[in-house]
Amino acid sequence: MANSRTDAVRSYPGFLWWGLGQATNGGLSFYVWMFVLTAISLVGANAWAHQVAEGMILTNMTDHVSWGLYIANFTFCVGLAAGGVMMVIPAYLYDDEDMHKVVIIGEAVAIAAIVMCTLSVMVDLGRPDRFWHLIPVIGRVNWPVSMLTWDVIVLNGYLLINLHIVGYLLYMRYLGRKPNPRWYVPFVFLSILWAISIHTVTAFLYCGLGGRPFWNTALLAPRFLASAFVSGPAFIILVMRILRITTGYSAPPGPARTLIQIIRVSMTINLIMLASELFTLFYTGGAHSASAKYLFFGSHGHFGLVPWIWTAIVCNLVGTALFFMPNALERGSIRIVACVLCIVGIWIEKGMGLIIPGFIPSTLHEIVEYTPSLVEWKVTAGIWAFGFLLLTVLLKLIATVFASEKSGTALERVSE
Amino acid sequence: MTPHKTTNGQDPNESANRRSAEPLLPILEAPSTRRTVLKTVGAALGLAAFGEALSPLMVVPENMSIDEFLQQHYKELSDDDKQRIFSRLEAETKERFGAEVKIVDPKPIPGVRFGYAINVSKCNGNGKCMEACNRENNHHRGVDQSYIRVLEMSKGSMDMEHGSTTFDHTVPQDDKFYMPVQCQQCDNPPCVSACPIEATWKEDDGIVVVDYNWCIGCRYCEAACPYHARRFNWEPPEIPAGEVNPNQGYLSNRIRPQGAMEKCHFCLHRTREGRAPACQEACPTGARVFGDLNDPDSDINYVLKNKRVFVLKEELGTKPSFFYYFDS
Amino acid sequence: MLGWPRRLPALLLIGLLLPCAIVVIFTAAMNLQETDHYAAIVQSGNPSGVDSISSGQQLSGQSSTLRHTVEIRRPTGPPRVITTLKDASGEFVTVACSTCHTTRPPNHQNKSVRELDEFHSGMAFSHGTVSCLSCHNSEDYDSLKLADGAPVEFTSVMTLCGQCHGPQLKDYQHGAHGGMNGYWDLTRGPQQKNNCVDCHDPHSPQFPHMKPVFKPRDRFLEQSGTEH
Ligand code: SF4
Ligand code: SF4
Repeated sequence: MANSRTDAVRSYPGFLWWGLGQATNGGLSFYVWMFVLTAISLVGANAWAHQVAEGMILTNMTDHVSWGLYIANFTFCVGLAAGGVMMVIPAYLYDDEDMHKVVIIGEAVAIAAIVMCTLSVMVDLGRPDRFWHLIPVIGRVNWPVSMLTWDVIVLNGYLLINLHIVGYLLYMRYLGRKPNPRWYVPFVFLSILWAISIHTVTAFLYCGLGGRPFWNTALLAPRFLASAFVSGPAFIILVMRILRITTGYSAPPGPARTLIQIIRVSMTINLIMLASELFTLFYTGGAHSASAKYLFFGSHGHFGLVPWIWTAIVCNLVGTALFFMPNALERGSIRIVACVLCIVGIWIEKGMGLIIPGFIPSTLHEIVEYTPSLVEWKVTAGIWAFGFLLLTVLLKLIATVFASEKSGTALERVSE
Repeated sequence: MTPHKTTNGQDPNESANRRSAEPLLPILEAPSTRRTVLKTVGAALGLAAFGEALSPLMVVPENMSIDEFLQQHYKELSDDDKQRIFSRLEAETKERFGAEVKIVDPKPIPGVRFGYAINVSKCNGNGKCMEACNRENNHHRGVDQSYIRVLEMSKGSMDMEHGSTTFDHTVPQDDKFYMPVQCQQCDNPPCVSACPIEATWKEDDGIVVVDYNWCIGCRYCEAACPYHARRFNWEPPEIPAGEVNPNQGYLSNRIRPQGAMEKCHFCLHRTREGRAPACQEACPTGARVFGDLNDPDSDINYVLKNKRVFVLKEELGTKPSFFYYFDS
Repeated sequence: MLGWPRRLPALLLIGLLLPCAIVVIFTAAMNLQETDHYAAIVQSGNPSGVDSISSGQQLSGQSSTLRHTVEIRRPTGPPRVITTLKDASGEFVTVACSTCHTTRPPNHQNKSVRELDEFHSGMAFSHGTVSCLSCHNSEDYDSLKLADGAPVEFTSVMTLCGQCHGPQLKDYQHGAHGGMNGYWDLTRGPQQKNNCVDCHDPHSPQFPHMKPVFKPRDRFLEQSGTEH
């Protein structure tokens, strides 16, 4: 079978075309799933089109709160992408056999997450038609001074690296050849460094701004990393569970356990850092704590973010507690609930709990509150739907390639 | 491939199991099945729906010429390019706002560095400077945009936390003082470092400008500015034809496009011709002093040398060219 | 492959530190390029003082550049008092101060508006402890007088005010009081300035209270967000 196929299509584009065909095969529930995701994406695309045509006035952002849901979501997605590395490190640095079998799921999640990041930035631009100004050489990039330029570069670099790794490994499998480590192992190690730097640079984006005391803390980058190493693995655990339910593919129990151990450590570190951050803010008091005060307790009669952050705190604490229960290591609903809680908690903590309060009170200490508009919610939902669409296709492609090479067992070791 | 698979309503587990059990056929060998046809139809419908969803975008190419789309960064424009662009913008203004305007591009005066100072003892918060800014700089009338905000501060505190910009009573109040804030034309401007595409930069005379036709509207500079000096064009500006100020500078008060960032530019279309900025002329209390920092005899240097001067948020190291002083 | 685990900490460090190092280097580079204009100000020469309001002359420092004038608006002259009589064209007849005051003895002690009558009753007066005749010239009511008794025209009122308000006059002469219109750069065009009584009522010189005229309406300020 494999031979006839390799004869038929050798080229990479051919492989991609074939993959697309395979990835869009499925049962009725698959088609329903894809249809729903497409529909939501289209709603998002439409809302965005209106926003471009009529102006950012359709969002609820203001000159005071000049970044909103889009950038909040962007920050979370960067964490998601960086979190995939927590599968790569055990698989490649510690030669964890079982992890090796499923590491490609982490890479697929990273790809989808990076695409979501790029889309989130894209929809935040007032002039997306001038996007080309950001492209090196034909545009005019403010490198190396601007952190945003760095971010654009590292995000796209990370996307390319992961596309290369996943594409190369799958293509080799598809051709029935053994992947040559020279062609992907260096990139895997590069991707480890890169994953850490995308999140570091994204944190620098905020903590480099002296005018925003709430962000201007050296702890921001470590906190970003710690929370990324919770949300990323948690998301991957969810994905593996969904795979098990829908495709019947059952990953070995080892990787999920490793991931949960990682989550336990990272989440604890994250919470410790959060606590020490809060201590510094509230014990010292003064102007630096104005945002934190508004965020946690409201100030001057404004309480917009208070419900958000306490939801996040509760989610994070309960989620962490659940992860620490012994049977979180077993298959079951506890770890799923824990994952969902932590993902929700971190999404809020990094978005509505970090980006928005950085702007409230404003640099002149005016309090202008922010709640996302319907358009913003639609666009964000659209981005998530598109991300899931992409992830589904990628996973489908991966499953197909693996299954077609060796019928019976599904996902298998990728290399060696 | 068996046709019934397309329409099955089976347990997904079962179908997945069977799928992995039977070898999959490569697409080239597959005959044209119902599934392929359905997929094609689905793809076509999807594309059509996508086009429909994005249809509001159609107004964008209508409003934008290829020239505008491909326009280069200000610093890469030749004089001819500029002339062409200015005429295009003048024509657009005529068409959209019904106003005849003249766009010029005055260069920094060699050797001049602008500084601005406000006498906080004099300023009484009347807001005429904000109004003058709005009129002079063709600000969006819908939100009464202005580059200046006047803070009412409590005597006994320099903490803006105790300040307010929404005061609406007779001024000055006995227990308050007033502090207008606008772009401080920082010597170490965080907004310029932030911009990913050099759409905003510091000119030789110290004025930080924005190329409104290069800015992509990411608003990173707005987050970076510690003085709330930047304004974003959330919607297309509206100005009655009779109120459009026809003397326009390309880097200053020409009518800004939607989706771009703008900020105070010390009225460079006036000040580079030797004239006072509009806010200074409008100030009824004489609280504003403007001039050349490089000229030892200038008014601004008199203030710096003879008054107790401070700058806002000095600890941030932004090095403002904008000063405040008390004289009693 | 086996060596990698041992190097993990180093790898992580590089991933973290590399961006940091680069940022630090470039920030430092940027700081080096900056000019420090505060230093420049301190080193620069003395202010030339009153010269900057002298008109139409050439300053030694800028020998060949013609300086435009600073035009100081002048009061029109001695005030005229409007009577109830009308002239042939229907206009109210006005009289000079001296018309009445030449026939009345001056009261050198008066410091209060309560003792004033006729045209002056109801006048607001709040100007420290000066008396009427500190400034008004009892010898010639159509002029004012300086502290040494020398008469000074109403049109030169700044000389009079400047006797007590020296710091303000000095600030004024250097553009730091009274505001201006026109050109900051006198080599390019003239400047117009107020005189003292354009803004200050000499009998009650405190700058008047005002209603704020204009307020930007930032988005959502009215609806969800307000300021404190
Ligand atoms: S005040 Fe704000 S906008 Fe103006 S130069 Fe400084 S950072 Fe930039
Ligand atoms: S909004 Fe415009 S000027 Fe500001 S950082 Fe973005 S591109 Fe630069």
